[in-house]
Amino acid sequence: MTRRKRDNRTAFFFILPWLIGFICFTCFPVGFMVRTSLTNRKLNGLSKFVGLANYRNMLKSSTFLNSLKVTIMFTIIMVIVTTIWAIIMALLLNRKQRLNGIFQFCYFLPSVIPSVALAYAFRTIFGKDAGLLNGLLGFFRGAPVSINWLYDKHTVYLVVFFITLFTYNTGQMMLIFRSGLSDVPAELYEASDLDGATNTQKFFSITLPMISPLVLFNAVNGCISALNGSFALLYPLTGESGDPNGKTQVLSLLIYKEAFSNMKVGYACALSVALFILAALFGIAIFAISKKTVYYEN
Amino acid sequence: MKKRMLAILLSCAMVASLPISAAAVSADDAADEVTITTWNEVNPDDSLNMYKQAEAATGVKVNVTVIPETDYSSKLNQMVATQDSSADIMIVWENDIRNFAEVGGIDALDDYMTDSTIDTSDFIDAVAVLADGLGGTYGLPWCAATEVLYYNKDLFDAAGIEYPTNDWAYEDFKAAAEKLTADGVYGCALPNLQTWWAGIGGAGDQIYDPESGELVIGDGAVSFITDCKDMVDKGIMPEPSSDTTDLFAAGKAAMAWQGSWMIGTYGDTLGFGWDIASLPTNKVKYNTLHTGFYTLNANSKNKEAAWKVIEYLMSEEGQTINSKSSGNPSALKTIAAEGAWKVESAADIISNWDAMTDSLEAGIFGYTCLPSGVTGDAVSKFNSALLGECTPEEAVEQASQYAAETIGY
Repeated sequence: MTRRKRDNRTAFFFILPWLIGFICFTCFPVGFMVRTSLTNRKLNGLSKFVGLANYRNMLKSSTFLNSLKVTIMFTIIMVIVTTIWAIIMALLLNRKQRLNGIFQFCYFLPSVIPSVALAYAFRTIFGKDAGLLNGLLGFFRGAPVSINWLYDKHTVYLVVFFITLFTYNTGQMMLIFRSGLSDVPAELYEASDLDGATNTQKFFSITLPMISPLVLFNAVNGCISALNGSFALLYPLTGESGDPNGKTQVLSLLIYKEAFSNMKVGYACALSVALFILAALFGIAIFAISKKTVYYEN
Repeated sequence: MKKRMLAILLSCAMVASLPISAAAVSADDAADEVTITTWNEVNPDDSLNMYKQAEAATGVKVNVTVIPETDYSSKLNQMVATQDSSADIMIVWENDIRNFAEVGGIDALDDYMTDSTIDTSDFIDAVAVLADGLGGTYGLPWCAATEVLYYNKDLFDAAGIEYPTNDWAYEDFKAAAEKLTADGVYGCALPNLQTWWAGIGGAGDQIYDPESGELVIGDGAVSFITDCKDMVDKGIMPEPSSDTTDLFAAGKAAMAWQGSWMIGTYGDTLGFGWDIASLPTNKVKYNTLHTGFYTLNANSKNKEAAWKVIEYLMSEEGQTINSKSSGNPSALKTIAAEGAWKVESAADIISNWDAMTDSLEAGIFGYTCLPSGVTGDAVSKFNSALLGECTPEEAVEQASQYAAETIGY
């Protein structure tokens, strides 16, 4: 056996644990999900092949169509909001100043709190009659304030997107941007100083192009996180029906509701396939946009 | 060579760990030991802990698995689907018992009951109706909880209004709620997930059709939602919100429609005088009964021991302890008549205990027989109508449409 073959075999054995995990815990569930989506399987195990009936029913359901609209809107805005916020935080932390480590710790701390606990805490803050924020606003106004933050269609998105700024995903983005910023060559800034560039010009002409691969990476990650991770944030905040009136019912909430409250596992699997396709489409769209906008040095 | 050996060992260890962990999970239960699933925390007082008392009476060790209420039904469904044998007795909800019987997840109890002292003819009528069409007795009701009107006597006294009675009309309720509304105090709390259905049923809708298993709402629902919206607009009821405060317990709502199980929770802890009455009668006298059924897991390895425990829990002693602990009456009429459900902590507070028996007689199994996703979605729509996001008619239409998509799947 040649050395090359021996090395290949060794490498294969090293990736084998991952490969077993991938087959058992990724490929098999995905295959099972697709197969189950073609049945009317209930949570109690009853199952019959129904072909594409679940998909036909899904496309006719106003609940699904509303959920799809909410999911797309929620994902796009969440990616934009969290990415911009993470860049701003990273830029602030990149400035040379005292106690930088403490600021970074403080900004990152809420990100390590589990999303569910974070959501419950914010639910208390944004309560109508007993909420901390309304209490505070009432104190400054000198009269009671009772804004129904989470049940008013005009304020619910504002609150939800504000809370996403404190999730783990945004904190992680901030750290990645921070490390990227420190790799931008200082000579570029020195040269631009000589040319008399303003801070805004430096940001858009040097900083942003240099960290654009990281923006792409974070946008893809943020997108997947918004599609899948939104459940942990929205379920405690607005419930499985996505109050008010389905305005926050993203697909992950609907999947949970159909599978575990209505026991319609087959239908929930069809919804999961739709979510899978949506995630793929978002990924393709981001990579398509990135071809024109991302700058690679080499 | 060492690297290759390490890689092989890692792979082998991973594969080997799967059957080892599976074997650990499926360890055999002891012969005279059974496990029961429930959503209620066990009473810390041993004399009111029916499972401890069952152990003493039957000699069978009883392990209690408490599953949070929000996940209870789905966990049991998963256990039935996977033929799990970790629980011998499952307390099954109204909306699940038929499905579980149909897929063979639970055993018929008829053979066990031939030599039993449990008198099924003594069950309240609603239980007998619910069991119709199952082709046998698959479960025995652990209790029969009702819904009642809770009122703050101090606020009624201050407003100079007479206390509610069990024959109060719905119009009496609305008029009193309006008079009781004051700065910082609502006349009545918003209906909750359970009592929305009592209001709709009282307004004349059937809610649950046992023949088709469908949600049946229409004019009654529109009428009750319209009334609630009117009360919300006038500040008599609070707006739906994310607040989780119990306004009645906080003294900020003069009345509340709630389940009878809240009697034990409130007890003597509220700091103001309170009492109960039957829910006010609109077009019909209506409240929803709530129960769970003791069932035998078809995959149990200890069925005889499990039956002994069920038999004790359904006995006069077991039912009496349950009533004293939970405040819920027994579904067996002769045992309920003895009044063990008059919980001690509220014995000196409540004077109108007749409200319980009156509600029990008027109660039927309604929305609890429907999937929780359907009823939860409907309540979300009703709340949206109160917020002006849609009209009552649209809310009812959307809820009915979603129910039609879901039920009969």
